[in-house]
Parts: sequence; C-alpha cells; structure tokens
Amino acid sequence: MTILYDEGQQAIATESRRVLEARVSKDDLLPLLESVGDYHRPFWDTAKEQGWTALALPEAHDGLGLGLVELGLIAHQTGRSLSGAPFLTSNFGAAKAIDIYGTDAQKARWLPGLASGETIGAIAFAAGPDALPVQPDVTLTGDLLAGVASAVSGGLAADIAIVLANGPGMPALTLVDLAGVERSAVASFDNSRCLADLHFAGTPAETLAIGHAAREAALHILALQAVVTAHEQTGGAEVLMEIARDYALTRRAFGQPIGAFQSVKHRIAELYGLVELARANCIHAASREGQPDFITAAAAARLSATEAYDTAARDCIQVHGGIGVTWELGLHLHMRRARSLAIEQGSSLFWEDVLVDRLAGEAA
Amino acid sequence: MSDLETWRAKAAAWLESVAPTFGREARKGLSEAEDLALGRRYQKAKFDAGYAGINWPTEYGGQGLTHLEKVTFDAEEMKHGFPNFYFGISLGMPVPVLMQFGSDKEFVKERVLKALQGEEIWCQLFSEPSGGSDLAGLRTRAEPDGNGWKINGQKVWTSWAHYSDYGVIVVRTDPTVPKHKGLTYFWVDMKAPGVTVRPIKLAGGDSHVNEVFFDDVKISDDHRMSPVGGGFAVAITTLMIERYVATDSAGFGPHLDLFVDLAKDTSLNGKPAIEDGRIRQQIARNYAMRSGLDSINVRARLMMQAGMIPGAEGSLNKLVAVRSRQKLSELAIDLQGTGGFAFDEHASQKEDWASSWINAPTGRIAGGSDETLLNTIAEKVLGLPQDHRPDKGVPFNQIPA
Repeated sequence: MTILYDEGQQAIATESRRVLEARVSKDDLLPLLESVGDYHRPFWDTAKEQGWTALALPEAHDGLGLGLVELGLIAHQTGRSLSGAPFLTSNFGAAKAIDIYGTDAQKARWLPGLASGETIGAIAFAAGPDALPVQPDVTLTGDLLAGVASAVSGGLAADIAIVLANGPGMPALTLVDLAGVERSAVASFDNSRCLADLHFAGTPAETLAIGHAAREAALHILALQAVVTAHEQTGGAEVLMEIARDYALTRRAFGQPIGAFQSVKHRIAELYGLVELARANCIHAASREGQPDFITAAAAARLSATEAYDTAARDCIQVHGGIGVTWELGLHLHMRRARSLAIEQGSSLFWEDVLVDRLAGEAA
Repeated sequence: MSDLETWRAKAAAWLESVAPTFGREARKGLSEAEDLALGRRYQKAKFDAGYAGINWPTEYGGQGLTHLEKVTFDAEEMKHGFPNFYFGISLGMPVPVLMQFGSDKEFVKERVLKALQGEEIWCQLFSEPSGGSDLAGLRTRAEPDGNGWKINGQKVWTSWAHYSDYGVIVVRTDPTVPKHKGLTYFWVDMKAPGVTVRPIKLAGGDSHVNEVFFDDVKISDDHRMSPVGGGFAVAITTLMIERYVATDSAGFGPHLDLFVDLAKDTSLNGKPAIEDGRIRQQIARNYAMRSGLDSINVRARLMMQAGMIPGAEGSLNKLVAVRSRQKLSELAIDLQGTGGFAFDEHASQKEDWASSWINAPTGRIAGGSDETLLNTIAEKVLGLPQDHRPDKGVPFNQIPA
C-alpha cells in the first residue's frame, strides 16, 4: 500500500470536508457540553448518509470494502470539524472485532447494522488507568458477564459492545448485546462522547477469543482504533494551527500583527512541525494494516498525534490571549476534545510501553 | 521491480563492492591527509563507475539522470561511511552554480570534470564575521580595478577552504544602495595572491571550517557570475539547489537502535535501564519523531517519482532531528554515568554519543539555524509576517552598525 493518496482518496477528503464544514458548527456543539449523554445527531446522520460507517467494512456485509487509509481521511476531517459523537471510531472497532474474530452467524447478525450505522457499537477494554488490563473489572463466568465497565465512550447510545473480560483464569474478548443492560451516564468535560458505565449482571456474552489470543485481539482492535483516532487528532491539531495563524495575522499589538513577533510565529511554526510529523505517521500507519509492524506504526502515529493535538490546543489558546479562554469562541471545545481523544484508545503512557516493548524486542 | 529499484540494486551492489577499499573500516587510523587522498580515489572510482554527477548533464560529464536517482544513491552511499564529505559542498552547490552561471563554457567544463573526479575542490564563501543568517548584510567588498575587480574583506565558517582550489563568493560592489541590491557573485582562485586561509578549531576538536582573508585580491571581470548588483539572486539559487537531499532522521547522530542497545546493557537502580519509565518515554518519543520524518522523506521520494513537487514539510528534518539528537545524546551520557566521561575526539558522530553530543550545536547552527528555519516555515509556508527589519530599504552604508 502506497502512502501517496490517489485521486479517489483525495476526493474523499475534499468531499467529507465540504459536507462537515457545511453541517457542523461550534454553535451546535457548545450546548452539548452542558447536557450529559446527548450527542450531535446531525453529525451521525451525515456519517450514515455519506456511507462513512460502511467505508472500511467488507462488501460481503454491506460495507464499501475500502480500508484504514480512507477511514483515516474521514477521521481527519471530523477532527477538523470536531465531530459530535464518538461512534465513527467505535463502530469501526466493534465491526472489525466481529469481522476478524466472529463467526459467520455473528457477522451476518451485526455487520450490516454497523455498516449502515443503525447499530452503534462500543469498545470496553479499559479499567481506569489500564488500557488493556490483565485483570479486567468485568468477569466472565460461563457465558455470563458481571461487573462494571467504566466510562465507555459511546456506551450510553451503543447497541452492542466488545468487552474484554476476566474469564476462567484467562482473559476473554466477548461480544455483548447491550439491550437491557443498565448504564449510568458519566458527566465529563466532553459530554458528547456519550460516556457511560456499563453494569453487567448476568449479562449473556459470546466469546470471540480467549487467553493470550484475546489480549492480542484486543490490542489489534485498539491499534486499529488508535490509527483512526490519530487521524482525528491530527485534523484537530491542523485546524488549530490554522486558526492560530489566521488570528496572528489579523490581531495587532504594539503597532504590528502579533504574528510578526518571533515568540508567536515560532510557536505556530512549531505546531506546523508537530502536525506534519503526526500526519506522516498517520498515513504510514494506515498503510501498514495487516503488516507485522502495524502495531509499531500505530503507536508512533498515536504518540505524535496526541502530542500535536494537545500542544495545538494549548498554544492556539495562548496565541489568542483573553478571547481564547471565552466560552463563546469555543477553542475550549478543541482543548476538551484533545484530552478525551488522548484517553480513548489508551493514553500516551500505554502506547509508549507498547512501542518500546517492540523496539527492545526487535533490537535484541 | 521498477526501473528505479533495479537501478538502486545495481548502485547498492557497487557500493558494497567498494566498501572494503574506501568504507568505514578502511578509514580507521588514517590521518586527515591520508583520508582526503583516499576520498579523492573514491570520488574517481565513482566517476569511472558512472555514479558521479548522477543528475548532471552528460555534456559536463554527468549521467543525465534525475534527482530521484541522485537521492536514491545518496541514501545507499550513506550506509558505508565513505570519505565523501570533502566533496559535499563542492559538488553540492558551487560547481552546479558554475555550470548554470559560468560564462566561459570550455573553462567551466574543465573545472566540472576535475571536480567530479575529485581532483579539484570548490568552497562557498558566503558567511562573514558580521553575519551568517543575515547573508545580505555581508561586508567584504569588490571595487573596480582596471578591467577587473579588487576584493578586500573576510569570510568565515568556510568548509574545506583549506583544501579548495576555487571558491564562489558574494561581495558588496555598491554600498550606497539597500543591502540586497549591492551584491555581486564571482568565482575566485583560492591559490591567488592575497588569499589567506586559516582553519578554525571547533568545539569538538575538528577543523573543517576556516576563516578566509582577502587582501587586494585581483580578479578579471570574466570571474563574474551575476550582473553587477544581481548577486543575491544567484546566492539564493545556490541555497535552493538541493531542496530534497537525502536526509537522516537521526539528525546525523547515532541510530535509535544504538540507544536501545545502550539502555538494555546499562543497569539503573538494579534493573536494566530499558525498564525505566524515563528512558522508555524518550525512546518512544524519539522513535515517533523519527518515523514521522522517515515517512515524510519516503513520501517526498514517491512524489518526485510521480512527477510531483514535494511539500514544504521536507524542511522540517534538520530542525527537528538535530535538536532531538542533541538531547538524546545528553541522556545517553547520563545513562553511562561516570562511564560517559570517556571521549575520543576522532569517534564518529553517528556511532559515539559523546561525539554526537559535542558536535550537535554545530548542526543546529550550520546550514540555517533553528531560528532561521522556524522563520522560514512561519513566513514562506504559513504566510506569517516578516520580523521587523530596521535595515529594510536603507542604503547599506547608512545602516547603523
């Protein structure tokens, strides 16, 4: 897979950007911050209508048969526009888990709905600080789950979840129908992520993988999602760099545009560097799906994208001065999103360890 | 296999075959004079094998291929540690500019052929004591003298001037107009009367850069390579010639694998340092940064292959790679503790952490300082305003010193 986008891929980027810029505005997103458990329905309707939910899923199950590169392009644009829901990534992760590790019956049952977006999927692997716990909080006894999966992104609206559970002396990757499962919304600094604690109590679950294979499977799904999220983070960082640049060109102080001061212009030039490194790592990682170095490439993309988005959020606000911290200007939407995306799919601390484990092994 | 891949494989095989004669191992223990002599023989061997002047016109002894083959060859060549840096400036900038702007074609052709075969070396006389980043602020002057010119002044940081036969030089020919407009571009004979070359010993101990003094150095007008007052444009051309050179995401320091090996072999608090979170974080961060640069470079090559012009992100490599190499080298010395004191001033910057560390500041200054590179990104890529420049539009001789 080459890392040069072809014409079709460039068209996906251009068209998705056009649609999102026309339909998503910060005025719709700001109120969501103050209402727990809601999400921006027009965004998700757009994703469904445009076929983004089906993009990277197999044609045999109503998908469009494209891959991580194309989904990454969409995610980059959703990052630029601040998507109003976490489902683009979590549906993809759940669908991939079923497609790779599920039975034909499970695929037939769930993939068409996930592809159309009528079914919403969530991923529940983490236990607090542990993105991929050896002893998950949720336990699997027989075919029944018990315990709480906490702060699951999209959990409040999801129809199914892929849950990493503590099985009989070994981890298990399970598929759970969430109908009837009790959930409690988690009030967050970024409420449109639809975070929820999922309370399992004798909930029937189907096992996708068990033991070492379950952990490997979970890591693979996490890496796939991390690459999508990294694109989203890069898009967010890119638009913040542009916003900072535009403001530095127009805002004047001491008789000149503030962008003429090196302390400001160098700050923005450094953002350019972070954005381009993240973009390059994202493109590379998306092109390595299915290759032995995919996890390594995903980790690099994830680390550089998290750094780019967090830094861009800090510095863009700083360049704006006082106006940058107002509710109305909405830069805090990016600041909040930068942090929620930094935690979803495992934080930098997690991916640093994943990466170094591999580098140290390879170098041996 | 694509044509380029076939070509790469052939070039790689040739490089492999000459590595025992000219490569890293063959250079061990040589004096600089011996190393230079070996370098000249290596350059001649490249010429004979058809790997010199890869993207230069055949009428000047080049191979008539594209920039892509050139970058491909450079990337392969870099692996073997050949003594080719004596010719890096010469063949990188002055000689291509001579081909483009030299007026006497026969003379140019003779010089180019000798340079390509390692017989002659050219240097580039740009920076001066009064300014490096501010190139147009230079003070060395050329005054009309009969039918020619007379040069007086001083250049500095001139790489390999002490081995050079010729140089290209930018001088001030009119101090009464604004600084960019009073410059003219010439070539000079470095052995001419009045040229004095004095090596400068750098912090790391080596002396490849020089001060060059010009005292009443007389040149004829056929040495002129630009219109009178049009020298700045030619100087900029020189600096733009190799926009996408083969780059090194290690910042011309050690590969990250060497740091990983060091961390595995070193004990910290009774455990291998590779298990220490602080060390792990730096490895991970450096890996992510370097893999991003590698991907940028691969993409640039693919774009050139497809006939496209690579993006401006290629300019990030030196800025990002060298300053992180500097910090990683400090950490590598920290890791070794008192064992890190050991120093061999002849050790390779690409293999030895202390050598990498002590020479890193040069890398952050030469060829565009970090600050200049950030300015360039801000102004040329992002469209931010130029800094306040009090000397703008002011005749050179009225700029307050």
